[in-house]
Amino acid sequence: MKNNFKKFGFLLAGVLAVSSCKKEYLETLPTADVSGETVFATTKGAQVALEGTYRMMYTSYTNHGNFGQKSYEIVSDLMGTDIVLHAQGYGWFNTDYQYTANASAADAGRSERIWYYYYTLINNANRIIANIDNATGTPAEREDIKGQALAIRAHSYFYLVNFFQQTYKGNETKPGVPLYTTPTSVGNPRGTVQQDYTQILADLKQAETLLTGKAQTVKSHISVAVTQGIIARVALQMEDYATARDYAKKARGTIAPMSGATYNAGFSSTTNTEWMWGLTVNIEQATIYASYFSHMDNTASGYAGLGSYKKITKALYDQIPATDARKTAFKAPGTTGLPDYTILKFRKPSASTWDGDYLLMRAGEMYLIEAEASARLGDDANALAVLTTLVKTKNPSYAFAGTGTALLNEILLQRRIELYGEGFQLNDIKRLKQGLVRPTGAGNHGAPNFDAVTYTLPDASPKFLMRIPQSEINTNKSFTAADQNP
Amino acid sequence: MKKLLQSLFLLMLFAVSAIAQERTVTGTVKSSEDGTPLPGVTVKIKGARTGAITNASGVFSIQVSSGAVLVFSSVGYEGTEASVGNKTNVNVTLRTDAQSLDEVTVQVPYGTVKKTSFTGSESTVNATTLRRQQVTSVTRALEGLVPGIVVTNGGGQPGSGASILIRGVGSVNASSAPLYVLDGAVYNGSIASLSMDDIESVTVLKDAAAAALYGSRGANGVIMLKSKQGRKGTPQVNANLRTGWSTRGIPEYDRLGSKDYYEMMWEATRNRLQLASGQTRAVAGQNASNVLTGANGLVYNAYNVPGNTLVDPTTGKLNPNAQLLWEDNWSDVLFQTGKRQDFNLNISGASDKTDYYVSMGYLKEEGTAKFTDYERYNIRLNLNSQVRNWLKAGVSMDGALTDQANNVATGTATTNPFYYSRMMGPIYPVYQRNLTTGAYIVDPATGQNALDYGKANQMGLRPYAPNSNLLGTLPLDDRSTKPFNINANTYLEATFLKDFKLRSTLASTYYDAYATTFQNSLFGDADNVAGRSTKQMNRQFTYTFNQVLTWNKSFGDHNLTVLAGHENYFFRQNVLSATRTGFPFPGTSELAPAATPEASTSYQYDHRIEAYFSRVDYNFQNKYFVSGSFRTDGGSRFADGHKWGQFYSASAAWRLSQENFLKSATWINELKLKASYGEQGNEDLGTNYYPTLSLYQLGNNNVNAPGALINSLANPDLVWEKSKNANIGVDFAMFNNRLSGTVEVYNRVSDNLLFPVPLPLSTGISTITQNIGTLYNRGIDVSLGYSPVRTSNFEWRVDLNLTHFKNKITKLPQEELISGTKKLMVGKSIYDFWIKEYAGVDPANGDALYYQDKLDAAGKPTGERITINNINNASFYYKGTSLPNITGGLTNTFTYKEFDLSFLFTGQQGGKFYDGNYAGLMHVGSYGTAWSTDILNRWTTPGQVTDVPRVQNALATQSGVSTRFLYNASFVNLKNASIGYRMPKRWATTLGIQGARIFGTVDNAKLWTFDGPKGMDPQRSITGVSDYTYPIYRTFTLGLNVNL
Repeated sequence: MKNNFKKFGFLLAGVLAVSSCKKEYLETLPTADVSGETVFATTKGAQVALEGTYRMMYTSYTNHGNFGQKSYEIVSDLMGTDIVLHAQGYGWFNTDYQYTANASAADAGRSERIWYYYYTLINNANRIIANIDNATGTPAEREDIKGQALAIRAHSYFYLVNFFQQTYKGNETKPGVPLYTTPTSVGNPRGTVQQDYTQILADLKQAETLLTGKAQTVKSHISVAVTQGIIARVALQMEDYATARDYAKKARGTIAPMSGATYNAGFSSTTNTEWMWGLTVNIEQATIYASYFSHMDNTASGYAGLGSYKKITKALYDQIPATDARKTAFKAPGTTGLPDYTILKFRKPSASTWDGDYLLMRAGEMYLIEAEASARLGDDANALAVLTTLVKTKNPSYAFAGTGTALLNEILLQRRIELYGEGFQLNDIKRLKQGLVRPTGAGNHGAPNFDAVTYTLPDASPKFLMRIPQSEINTNKSFTAADQNP
Repeated sequence: MKKLLQSLFLLMLFAVSAIAQERTVTGTVKSSEDGTPLPGVTVKIKGARTGAITNASGVFSIQVSSGAVLVFSSVGYEGTEASVGNKTNVNVTLRTDAQSLDEVTVQVPYGTVKKTSFTGSESTVNATTLRRQQVTSVTRALEGLVPGIVVTNGGGQPGSGASILIRGVGSVNASSAPLYVLDGAVYNGSIASLSMDDIESVTVLKDAAAAALYGSRGANGVIMLKSKQGRKGTPQVNANLRTGWSTRGIPEYDRLGSKDYYEMMWEATRNRLQLASGQTRAVAGQNASNVLTGANGLVYNAYNVPGNTLVDPTTGKLNPNAQLLWEDNWSDVLFQTGKRQDFNLNISGASDKTDYYVSMGYLKEEGTAKFTDYERYNIRLNLNSQVRNWLKAGVSMDGALTDQANNVATGTATTNPFYYSRMMGPIYPVYQRNLTTGAYIVDPATGQNALDYGKANQMGLRPYAPNSNLLGTLPLDDRSTKPFNINANTYLEATFLKDFKLRSTLASTYYDAYATTFQNSLFGDADNVAGRSTKQMNRQFTYTFNQVLTWNKSFGDHNLTVLAGHENYFFRQNVLSATRTGFPFPGTSELAPAATPEASTSYQYDHRIEAYFSRVDYNFQNKYFVSGSFRTDGGSRFADGHKWGQFYSASAAWRLSQENFLKSATWINELKLKASYGEQGNEDLGTNYYPTLSLYQLGNNNVNAPGALINSLANPDLVWEKSKNANIGVDFAMFNNRLSGTVEVYNRVSDNLLFPVPLPLSTGISTITQNIGTLYNRGIDVSLGYSPVRTSNFEWRVDLNLTHFKNKITKLPQEELISGTKKLMVGKSIYDFWIKEYAGVDPANGDALYYQDKLDAAGKPTGERITINNINNASFYYKGTSLPNITGGLTNTFTYKEFDLSFLFTGQQGGKFYDGNYAGLMHVGSYGTAWSTDILNRWTTPGQVTDVPRVQNALATQSGVSTRFLYNASFVNLKNASIGYRMPKRWATTLGIQGARIFGTVDNAKLWTFDGPKGMDPQRSITGVSDYTYPIYRTFTLGLNVNL
């Protein structure tokens, strides 16, 4: 017994020695995540948060029809007049084209995903804006990061308010989208369109100040010129033509319009000198089938190539002169291969990989804004000069000579041709207040092409609007069912 | 063994010399259950003091005088008597005495207790019952055998398990799954890696008294798995050989054939052109005929007449001259009758101080879908040894190498053969055909019939899933998981100071799954990048290390057991994966030859718990019992100051049958009242190991610049979710143990629910984890066993169990929470359907109608409803819960001499099921997608009364989730039927073996449902929604068990 007791003593001592745990035993930390404090301790860390925010702009969430900014630009164009959907293919974007996707407020539906996307960007930007002032680093680094975050926030609100409400002019007092300028978990009310635009402009002006003198190291980063470009875009939508003209001019600076050859090089590389802002997408970060080129590059074996070819309307195609290099951005009718009028403008660089860069802003848009704003301000001379500079690089024999309404209409036509498929259609349709008129008949919308279902809509039709997500109405205490769009 | 033989020999010697005038009777005592000889059975002469004991071969020999009656008795068996008469050989069989409660022990946390003195709620299923079912994972065997559980099958992918809920749904966001414990240690390895042949028993612990000592994680109940151990007696050598066939257990939905398909699609097109495009009916009809097989129609024309004459533009009927050129059945080429083979060899035995059990097994289960299977090699060694009179040591080790091939049957992906073959229109062939003659087209490269991928350069661009053919790609692709699972469980147990015992256990599990996702380079999704392969290593290492001190003391009528212990739980998961594309040659999925890197990542998760615990059990005269336990756990998921949670239980039992006032009631064999209350914890948030921290998710890199996005909000105040569990029950056995059972009522309140509180999406983060909300599960569990007939040759046994529970939310973070098809609200269950209500079809125009509330000025429903034809504007309503009202199981077992026969029925009454699969087949006219035959009932003519709306392509506003596809989920399933025959002893002796049994079984023999379409599987998920996963399968098995 005594012997046993001794043995037991050893055993117990051994057991206790092994098992008595240090306090650290229960302290565990993640390896693929990091705390906000760590991120915002330095400007270097804050830069990581900023880069993540840019990455979100080309990340695919939820399904193959959502891949950041470019997916919603496709929505904007497919709800417009100039892209014809050849066939259903795998079904992606079919219901956007038919105007039924935006009529649903359900989870994972189009409206809800757009809402989610822009508000997630806004939250990430808000956290950078709220914390950057205390990050260790040089003032220049802090200004650069904060300026970009402000511009991202403004850019996001601009798309939100335009997807969820009619255009600015004439609707200033209509419900806007909830504004958040600091991180929070408490929901805000819809507010008004005017309030949204006031915030957008304030952010952009502050960003312009902060970013002045800062170098754009990669094309995905927002520079002062890109900020000015966004201001021009916003001002055009607001019909503030003087601002639009001045900022468009400032934004493009000395950038010359690209040549016809470059125009037909695929729109998939940030090395294009006309690109002011674009996302570089490498092989690793490409989202394959859930990518812009899967849906828009009809020559690749993505979803577009699997049946849902995107085509230009015959109506617009026929308005492009034969001498215009931009006409070759579409498959000429009567030739073999792809269906007639198929878009060839957007092509990823390599057939065997999915890397292709995403265009977010280029000088051509600035030329068109300046031309349109000048024309609307009565400065036809400048309008024509700017327009001619832009178009002549693709069509050397271009020699439009009209004035007044004819000139304005020519600018708007050139805008549709030049910026074809670059995501401006829905905002332009709302802004121009002429409703939706989709051309039909051979080569246009409808049979034998995919049934567009919706062919005409009056100006300011509620059908243009996204629905407020049901989940927002359910969770935001500032919302009631009455806040839903009509 | 040696000692036993010696004493027997001495006994016999003594008997022979002392009572020489009497004659010798010999005989063998065997188990009625499996015919194995029973050693150690006491054989007494009635009315005398003399007796004998059977030897290791079950043989006894005893001196008797004529007319003597022998009385046989053994622990765990019913006693029996046999008169000797003039016989010199008396053979008897003893029946297992399931009702001799006194001897039955129950597995409880950190030990075992006698069932009679157990104050908690448990159900045990032993190997005899388990082995009737031929299943791969033990989780699939419990349904219908244990009261108080709800089992959902989760589909039939080979090697997959079922999910089990004990006593309702205990949590909203944290796991509601029970804790698994293998041989006394918390187990988070692979359940399917454990061979059914090695499992001795499964004990389900249901209340606080039973499970509270696993306080930290016992909130959802505990399932204790016990592996087999060696027993004294002749060493056993058992070989089990089973072979079987599997077919679909749930039939496929009935779908339209080619003729109906063209006619219906014409009608959908005509209706679109007429009603949406505004053409006249005649023009629309003509245009519908014109475009039917065009590029924006069905593309394929499976008949021998021109596409525009295929359907009559006026009548909508198929051209009578049209002859079918092809109609391939995708199911025939993608599915098969799967073979199932299951072999196991085990050897066990024990000497005085050491016992052992060794087994090895091989199982191969082919799926009902081609190219899917599951293969497993497993071994086990259980060894216990009394190395000193005060020290015992043991080890239990098992390992399994498994290979789950082609884990493809999930979701709507083109790689899912179930979804693909179901949704593919009937007119699309597997093999390419000549468009005029319908003749097969031969691939010049292979000389075989060429497959049709639905590409433009083949027969046309198929509107359904172009550029795919699963018969072509599945054999070339590889989507496999190869888990390696090893458990090593060792202990040392020291006895000292007479009543003390110290046991230290180290249990470890190493799980390493190597997964491949390879899309081949030749055809399908990755042909454009010359193949894509992802390799993933998922390594999980767990150990549980505990030290338990027990003091066991009896003072006269007072019996006391005190236990105290300490435990560490350590879990680490490492995941590493990489993807490359660009394979120069087919035939390998390895990354080395692939030219282009796509993505790679690795990360680690850590999870730890430390606990101190104690339990005190006391009883007086084995009549009055009280028990109490306390446990405190520190968990790494929680922040400082909230890491430690306290859990406890208190319980009592009263064995009325031991009272003098019931002693005279001899018809009562056992009667016990019991009650318990306690609190347990739950912190299982899955892979959310850091719920209290506000985290930025790394890896969101922008080209080469590292990037991060905000991913979660901080909540340092998070504490353990608690389950407050009350149980009152009665155990009884009566009429000579012929009727026995348990009735229990419980109230299980889950408090401080770890809740993903939804935030407005516009704040940029959709949820935050908080302790908000309370719900309860209240219910009653009944289990009854009855033997209507019990003679020496024939026995009929009926076992019934029934469960009813009510799940109700009593507190929520906000008034209502909507998620998918459900809405949480105080007073409702957590799975109450919240969906739009279908109001049938407008007889005037065939529109689908839905109800909409009329609102008053304040936006509140007035109670009045109108019907509308736009589902987007329809109101939502509560439409019942997916939770069943009653679930249960009924087993009938018949034993006649060497034959045995049993049937297990399981069933559910009540509960709702939303059949989205069927909804997908009732579309309004999506080109290329198959249609249910029920679409033939669609509205066609004004005034027609039907419940299927008209078909019309692209009519998006009239279909969606609604009560139209919500069905009653009640069902009855003949889950298992088995018949067996045991070889008579004399044949076995002739063959030189101990015994043998042959048997045949059918698992999932037949499912009866009472609502919904053919093809619906009401047991698919607890939430009552369908998915596109693998249907369960029916297995026919023939088996042979030989005891060598």
